[in-house]
Amino acid sequence: MVVLGALAAATLPYLLRSNVPSGLQLPHVDSGTYFSDTQLDRARDYERFLELDWILSQVALVVVLALYAARGERFVRESAAGRIGTGMLLGMIGLALVWLSKLPFGLAQLWWERRHHVSKQSYVDWAFGNWFGLGAEFLFACGVILIVMTLAGLLRDRWWLAGVPALLGVGLLFAFVQPFLLPDLHRLRSPALAADAKRLAREEGLEQIPVRVEEVHKFTTAPNAEAVGLGSSRRVILWDTLLDRRFKRKQVDAVIAHEFGHHRRHHIWKGFLWSVLFAIPVAFAVTEVARRRGGLQDPRAVPVALLVITVASLLLLPLQNTVTRRYEREADWVALQTTRDPAAMRSLMRTLAITSRADPNPPAWSYVLFQDHPTIVQRIALADAWQQSRAAAR
Amino acid sequence: MPIRLTIDDDLQRSRLTVFFRLLLAIPHLVWLSLWGSLAILVAIASWIATLISGRSPDMFHSFIGSYLRYSTHVLAYLFLAANPFPGFTGRPGYPVDLVIEPPRPQNRWVTGFRIVLALPALILSGLLLGGGGSYQGAQTGAGATAAFLGWFVCLARARMPAGFRNLIAYGLAYSAQAGGYLLLLTDRYPNADPVQHLPSESEPPHPVRLTVDDDLRRSRLIVFFRLLLAVPHFVWLLLWGIVVFVVVIANWFATLFAGRSPASLHGFIARYSRYAVHVYAFVFLIANPFPGFTGRPGSYPVDVHFEPPERQNRWLTGFRLFVALPALLLAGALATVLYVVALFSWFVVLSRGRVPLQLRNLGAYCLRYSTQANAYVMLLHDRYPYTGPAVPLAPGPAVAEPDHAA
Repeated sequence: MVVLGALAAATLPYLLRSNVPSGLQLPHVDSGTYFSDTQLDRARDYERFLELDWILSQVALVVVLALYAARGERFVRESAAGRIGTGMLLGMIGLALVWLSKLPFGLAQLWWERRHHVSKQSYVDWAFGNWFGLGAEFLFACGVILIVMTLAGLLRDRWWLAGVPALLGVGLLFAFVQPFLLPDLHRLRSPALAADAKRLAREEGLEQIPVRVEEVHKFTTAPNAEAVGLGSSRRVILWDTLLDRRFKRKQVDAVIAHEFGHHRRHHIWKGFLWSVLFAIPVAFAVTEVARRRGGLQDPRAVPVALLVITVASLLLLPLQNTVTRRYEREADWVALQTTRDPAAMRSLMRTLAITSRADPNPPAWSYVLFQDHPTIVQRIALADAWQQSRAAAR
Repeated sequence: MPIRLTIDDDLQRSRLTVFFRLLLAIPHLVWLSLWGSLAILVAIASWIATLISGRSPDMFHSFIGSYLRYSTHVLAYLFLAANPFPGFTGRPGYPVDLVIEPPRPQNRWVTGFRIVLALPALILSGLLLGGGGSYQGAQTGAGATAAFLGWFVCLARARMPAGFRNLIAYGLAYSAQAGGYLLLLTDRYPNADPVQHLPSESEPPHPVRLTVDDDLRRSRLIVFFRLLLAVPHFVWLLLWGIVVFVVVIANWFATLFAGRSPASLHGFIARYSRYAVHVYAFVFLIANPFPGFTGRPGSYPVDVHFEPPERQNRWLTGFRLFVALPALLLAGALATVLYVVALFSWFVVLSRGRVPLQLRNLGAYCLRYSTQANAYVMLLHDRYPYTGPAVPLAPGPAVAEPDHAA
């Protein structure tokens, strides 16, 4: 707790620093101004189903992992792999159960997305096309268990003193190599957009960060973009669904500027610092609960550790969403300052909401639980606020 | 077993007839195809009669039985499992022969869906024997590969190696049971257990000995995700294998120079080979538990013992890769069998929670052979792998299972 407190005191001022003016008042925006009643009804209908599906899947997940925590010990006898190897087996079985428990809800989600023409994936592709990714997850879990159980064998309950930095090191490494692992990337093919991207990068002081396009149109119609990588591996990734003529050039410019904003404000690094703050109490909780099963050096503790991590992640979700919403808001602000085009930002938000069937103004519970970005209405209001602050400054 | 193979062969072969074996067999192959066409028509009639009366009529049973016996004679001759030119009537008395029991009542459901039910057995038969098999043809069957290699040995030594003959005989026995099942001679499913077909078969002393001490029980959940669970082992096997590759090259130079493999290199390679056996036994469902990552002896139900380093022939060491080619060819054919056996086992285990003894034993045989072949290539010794379908069961109480289990 002392370590956590000291870390929080040292890092929070930096993590909470923002270039969005602190007293900024967002003007009221009526969603009816931008969307028809039909569009709003359709978006609400679409999102409520997905949210219900997600809640049910999480309930099922917790129930399955609770059963596994209670009865998973018996799989110890299915192993001849020694302490750590058996821990790996139990960890992988846990992931397998997670996959199985999510399967029906994932299928329901796919059915719903296909029904609304958001996903183009076939059921067979969805069920069997991602086994490679599942294998990579298994491998990653084995690496984590190897680190944790080795350290727990040496340091017992103080494993986290070395374990948390080691795991974050692995996370950093993964964040660094992630851009190189993304399949089907290519450069911007439109010379005009490529020139815009260069100009925006120059204006944000990020000339060395390239913009790449990821081919996803075979699987989905939903538009998206992301800022990935660390240091020299930093990239801005645009899904090719943003470039299929549903979005105007100025709207895509706003997206690019937003993603550059994440890099400019070091949001990926800040996300890691938040991970440290979150990881320490979770590690503490895992250690406490695992102690009743002989400690984390004992493979029998792995199922219960999985349950604790899952429950802790769910409990921390609203807090995580608060953090990411703050950074998304800041990236929007950076984009507005770079493009100086609030109209493009407003129209981008409108098109984004329509193409991805997002509810522009979701209810409070949905906002707290699910929204890792500000709502569409809030983002339009931010563009209005930026315009007003600029007018006042003149 | 209602259809079983008998062997009365002294392994002696005539070089001249072996050299021209394929040409000499042509009249038999023509006659076999003609008889086979008729046998199919009779089998259809027998299928209808068995569906109605619950039993194959004696006349049909006798006709198809003679055809099956004749085809076994011809294939034994063609694949060098026997020496004399066979007769054209399928009469009993050939050195590799079939004993077929008289007709018995058959389950009508099993009769009705016979073609579908027979498919797995026919696939396995094609892989075990080749040549006339229904899967990939003669080139890839283990028996056909043994016959191809045996042809050269017979020309050189006028004698068929016992291991080759026994492997071919095992393939013939299983294929005969698969054919008999398809053609309604019996409703007993073919048994793939080498121990059942060749009970007297035992492995001659060998410096690489596999042991299987397994109770056939399998965890359904772990079997369902078996390949994914093995991913960390595959990665570790690959990383360790890169080091072993370098060590094997060093071992080759050392053995060529000193006439024996240095104990440290021998131990390192043996450890890796044992680990690989543990992993493959897990992946191919020959054993149940998740293996360790160190290849420690005695840590896994399917284990392998390596004799300490012995003197090795320098000529054999120098040309090891070339000398090992036939063994690697056969190991490749048996690896295909192993893949298919594991696939069949996977489905069975998911429904029954146990792996069938026959499939486990067949898998263990394939694994034993490939382990011996790999150990030969990696210069752990200079004894050639034994080809016969001896199953390396651990001493102790046998695991009982009715032989009609699929």
